[in-house]
Amino acid sequence: MSAKSLSVLGRLAAIAACTVAGLGAAPSAFAVPSFARQTGLACEACHTVFPELTHFGRVFKANGYTLTNTKQVRDVTGKKEELLELAQFPPLSIMAQISYTQMKTPVPDLSSVGAPGVAQNGSAGFPQQFSFFYAGKIAPNFGAMFQLTYANDGGTIGIDNSDLRFADEIVLPDNGSLTYGLSLNNNPTVQDLWNSTPAWGFPFAGSNANVGPLAGTAIAGAFAQNVAGLTGYIYWNESLYAEVGGYRSAQQGVTNQLTGGAGPLDGTASNVIQGLAPYWRLAYEHNWDRHSLEVGLYGLDLKVLPGSASGAPTPLNGPFNQFNDVAEDLQYQFIGDQHLLSVEATHIHESMTLNAAFASGASANPSNTLTTTEVAATYYYRRKFGGTLQYFSTTGTTDAGLYPGTPAGAPGVVTSANGSPDTRGWIAEVNYLPWLNVKVSAQYTWYGKFNGSSSNYDDVGRNASDNNTLYLLLWFAY
Amino acid sequence: MARLTLCFAGAAILIATGSAALADEPDATARAAAQHLAVTVCGTCHGPTGNSTQPKYPRLAAQNANYLAAQLKAFRSQTRGDPDAIGYMWGMASQLDDATIEALAAYYAAQKAEPSARGGSTAASRGREVYEHGVAAQGVPACSSCHGPDAHGLQDFPRLAGQHGQYVLKQLASFQSNMRNVAIMHGVAQRLNLDDMDAVAAFLEAQP
Repeated sequence: MSAKSLSVLGRLAAIAACTVAGLGAAPSAFAVPSFARQTGLACEACHTVFPELTHFGRVFKANGYTLTNTKQVRDVTGKKEELLELAQFPPLSIMAQISYTQMKTPVPDLSSVGAPGVAQNGSAGFPQQFSFFYAGKIAPNFGAMFQLTYANDGGTIGIDNSDLRFADEIVLPDNGSLTYGLSLNNNPTVQDLWNSTPAWGFPFAGSNANVGPLAGTAIAGAFAQNVAGLTGYIYWNESLYAEVGGYRSAQQGVTNQLTGGAGPLDGTASNVIQGLAPYWRLAYEHNWDRHSLEVGLYGLDLKVLPGSASGAPTPLNGPFNQFNDVAEDLQYQFIGDQHLLSVEATHIHESMTLNAAFASGASANPSNTLTTTEVAATYYYRRKFGGTLQYFSTTGTTDAGLYPGTPAGAPGVVTSANGSPDTRGWIAEVNYLPWLNVKVSAQYTWYGKFNGSSSNYDDVGRNASDNNTLYLLLWFAY
Repeated sequence: MARLTLCFAGAAILIATGSAALADEPDATARAAAQHLAVTVCGTCHGPTGNSTQPKYPRLAAQNANYLAAQLKAFRSQTRGDPDAIGYMWGMASQLDDATIEALAAYYAAQKAEPSARGGSTAASRGREVYEHGVAAQGVPACSSCHGPDAHGLQDFPRLAGQHGQYVLKQLASFQSNMRNVAIMHGVAQRLNLDDMDAVAAFLEAQP
């Protein structure tokens, strides 16, 4: 679980005025070697450095992960209709992240009430995460990237980012092309082609043993792995991309109280999407020489019924909380043989209409806004040595209900003394890749402001900079 | 004289291979399939009509069909060993059958070469000199003797006019190091200095 998802979990928890079960699973981003085995192409065809995609990688994804350059087990009809195309070896991969996290200032130890000490500072994750993938073609126009992940924070195995696609491509009269397809996925923006949107944006990996801020937008991973989305898209001349679709709750580990089955969801479930949440995306990419530039817009409109998140099981009708996210994004890439440069930026505006939260007292205002900005620049030399510098900022309406203060006698840390979500800082990361599928990283996060203040933000004496975090990572996939 | 003999011997081998390969012209179905493949797969890097705008990927429009077919077969058999061939084309060509290779070669040969957006640098005049007359002092023959006076290629020797200068330069380096193992071009490239390589690449990119 990254800092990004923790922040969203924190905010939804505040809205719900209780712990939100099942939300905030890790938004994680990977490159999958089974794609390389399937296509016979080196990693650099699809990635600058994993997991960032090149133009070729984006086209491969838009075409449903189906490009294949291996011998197939086939079956055809007498009219040459393809009935079966199976790779002789299944497209399976593994991925592991092993990490170490050191915070500038340790957090209080809650195990000893009355005589609090501090928790151990320096958390080893072995593994922080271990994943299995099915990533590749299933049928001629049908492919998938399914990910099953063990994460050490939960100590369990669960579904991770997954994307099932049907896609085809036609040749237009002027030798242009039109790719069209459907994506069935479990995290808004996981199906996106650029690394400037939340699911695949920087940081590609982050600590799960740190302190994350309270506020984050709904589209940035709050509902990851707890929704099922079906979207349709077109990609014209590998330049103009348009996508529309909708997401519905598909919560993991939740049962119907009457039947004991995995559904239908009832009032004991928390934060259930009412109906279908519309998702939309528009992007334009231009490639020239060794440059690539993309500008785009995307958005998600969620109506969320609190259910048991309101404090007790509550039927899934009546007032809801609405999160309307509208975002702009930009990506620039220069891909030389020696030098590679990428710039990714996104700016997400969220309008909240909190009828349910306001009625229950979980929010102080009936409506709020929240804006996040992230700008990252990455440089690599020969895909071997590189680094990224990112600026991030969150600003929004002050709301003592959503971003609550520290109760008397409580340790603070994950609270806001002034009810403000404002957070900003920098992430610097250096990377070394001895081989293209193995990355060693050192990442440092600085907070200039955290949950509304730079100093004593929790009114218990903790400063924003106390949450600065050093994160060391060994990350490989095979 | 020894070098000239080698050159003609190599040409004879290439011509013989290429001519046999193109004995059967692709039919309409094969042409349509090749167009689809070229636009939807190859086109992502090489451009839908082979007029790549990215110098990492060679321009294929109006390229000699025999040369294209020979290269695709060299990728398939993994006998062309420059780095981008290994990383990209060994995989892409691995499952192509001869008929598809011939149809793809015919498709690109039939496309109109669009002028390059670059070219015409100050080095181009020196490049013209090298291309048309070689570098006598270093024993480098004129490129035009094999690639034609207008650089449109001759027989099985590839068209170079309008090719990305960066691509030409990278290929010359690969010939020089023998990563791309072609005896004729190794003999030429190992005698060319970097300035002359740059100059001839710039000249070629500017040619229509």
